[in-house]
Amino acid sequence: MQARRENKPARVVSSAAYAACALASLAIIAVLLLITGYLVKIGLDGMSIDLFTRDPTGDPVDPGGMRHAIAGTLTLLAMASTVGVPLGVLAGIYLSEYAGDGGKLNSTIRFTADVLSGVPSIVVGIIGYELLVVPMGNYNGYAGAAALAFIMVPIVARTTEEMLRLVPQSYREGSLGLGATKAQTIIRVVIPAALGSMITGVMLALARVAGETAPLLFTALGSRFLSFDPGQPFPSLTVQIYNYATGPYTNEKKLAWAGMLVLIAILFVLNLAIRFIASRSLKKMVPS
Amino acid sequence: MLAKVGSERSTIGLQTSVSTPVRRPARASVKFVDSGLKWACRLAGCTILLMLALPVTLLVIKAWPAIERFGLNFLVTTTWRANELEQPILDAAGKIQIVDGETLTRTIPPEFGAAPVLYGTAVSTGIALLFAVPFSLAAALFIVRVAPQLKVKLPGKRQFSIAEPLSFLIEFLAAIPSLAYGLWGLFVLGPFLANVVEPFLARTFSAVPILSGMFYQTVTIAGEEVRRPLSFTGRDMLCGGLVLGIMILPIITAVSRDVLKSVPRAQIEGSLALGATWWQSCVEMLRYGRAGLFGAVMLGLARAAGETMAVAMVIGNNNQIVLSPIAPAQTMASLLANEFAEAGPGMHRASLMYVAVILLVMSLGFNIVARYFVVGRGGRTSGAH
Repeated sequence: MQARRENKPARVVSSAAYAACALASLAIIAVLLLITGYLVKIGLDGMSIDLFTRDPTGDPVDPGGMRHAIAGTLTLLAMASTVGVPLGVLAGIYLSEYAGDGGKLNSTIRFTADVLSGVPSIVVGIIGYELLVVPMGNYNGYAGAAALAFIMVPIVARTTEEMLRLVPQSYREGSLGLGATKAQTIIRVVIPAALGSMITGVMLALARVAGETAPLLFTALGSRFLSFDPGQPFPSLTVQIYNYATGPYTNEKKLAWAGMLVLIAILFVLNLAIRFIASRSLKKMVPS
Repeated sequence: MLAKVGSERSTIGLQTSVSTPVRRPARASVKFVDSGLKWACRLAGCTILLMLALPVTLLVIKAWPAIERFGLNFLVTTTWRANELEQPILDAAGKIQIVDGETLTRTIPPEFGAAPVLYGTAVSTGIALLFAVPFSLAAALFIVRVAPQLKVKLPGKRQFSIAEPLSFLIEFLAAIPSLAYGLWGLFVLGPFLANVVEPFLARTFSAVPILSGMFYQTVTIAGEEVRRPLSFTGRDMLCGGLVLGIMILPIITAVSRDVLKSVPRAQIEGSLALGATWWQSCVEMLRYGRAGLFGAVMLGLARAAGETMAVAMVIGNNNQIVLSPIAPAQTMASLLANEFAEAGPGMHRASLMYVAVILLVMSLGFNIVARYFVVGRGGRTSGAH
């Protein structure tokens, strides 16, 4: 009896803490749903078929659409992936298959890949400006794509490494034991086993850079025209949204919200796909 | 059951891929591919090193004129003025001198100091953490300790716990671009703060001695110091901090959830068996994972300090130190976003580069510390990208 009476305050505290945790979670979910709900509501308001089929007119009353920006973002993503994905995957293979665990150089590379994902995106933009815009003489799409690739590489490298490491060592030993070379082992055994999760990593990186604005501000700059010439200033969804949102015209602000909704929809689909592929391939890969 | 299916699948995978006969292993093309892949991978690995070394060197070189001229004083200089200033010269009596109908003026050269942006970054990030950390930790505890037991029954015999959809929601929210939070801050939170919250704060605290200073600003007009009330704009450090806080909520929650999940069951069950209440066992859990949790907070801190667009849209962009959270300010990242494109080559651009170097070093520092605590102590950073 004595013990129980002493415990009473502790139990009251415990229940209070329990309630606080539940309330805090509810509050977070509520706030975040409020934000996304608002985005969806206002975004749907400005949504129309024009958004996908027309370019900006420059007329504040009838601002046109964001076809150029959607095409621009997709082009930039494709260009960034062309460079970023192979580089990241190769680096990931190096870290997992060739580097081993020891060695100063290798641990330095691993550490650097980790640290690189912490470079603020605005700094990435400035680096792109100095390396690719200044030498080429004008803002251009190549610089924008390179800046995005810069952000992708460490993410792809680290996820590739982690996923390859999950492939059981016995796979490699079996393959090597049958006389395959190391490259054959990697290409025919290790990578196929981890392919699903590696794709997840790539999509994770894509989802991350698709929403980036800051690296594009000083590199691709943005443009009001549909363009497929990366040597010139290049349109992108995020920069266009930023320009519209901070600009003076109501109708353009509406477009900004609608464009943001399109972007979030793309990201949401990407996220679902990531979850789906990841859960399937992880089940396939890890036997236990 | 799941495990069985998995193992069957993986055996099949193994057989199909390994049973491909290896033909003539010594063939030249095979050897070529072998060493080719090896060198390609090495090259890619070294590119990563280059990706850090090259930009850092470049930034430092570009910032050098400013580093050389201002040195460490840059960090404490409170004036950031990109343009020359024409100022009337006062005579001994403190009056403006006029010669031939024109005011005598002198030109003050542009001046650059990082103190305002350092201050803005520190305060807005501080507000963000104050707001985000308690909520994130509580939510992480909820996901790990409560949600798995809350099951939703579907028609039929299937059921799932709400931990799964909750986790998905948090991770998806971590993937929403910061621009979206910026838009929301600019059009919804900002006006709300300006019209409702800030007037309310002013009414409530204007009688409290120290806090009342928060609503006034001392400005110098024509050589005289004037104390005047701050206007409520909703574009200030409070709004910036709150937007940042909401933005980093999902990241801190996701990483702390992973850290808490990795706390051994025995640790919790042991404390429960000894008669601990739910909360006491949670405290035990938090204590056990404190290094990883610290890392999670540091990751949020790094993200908040380096965030650009969301902040640039709501913080008011004012390069001055005003000692009030409801005053417009500027962070390092937003300064770069706002001024870099317009800055001509010369000291302005070099000073911006200097700010970029400070921002880079700071973010890398936070990240290194965070990773040391999260990864180095057995936690994982799956949600951290």
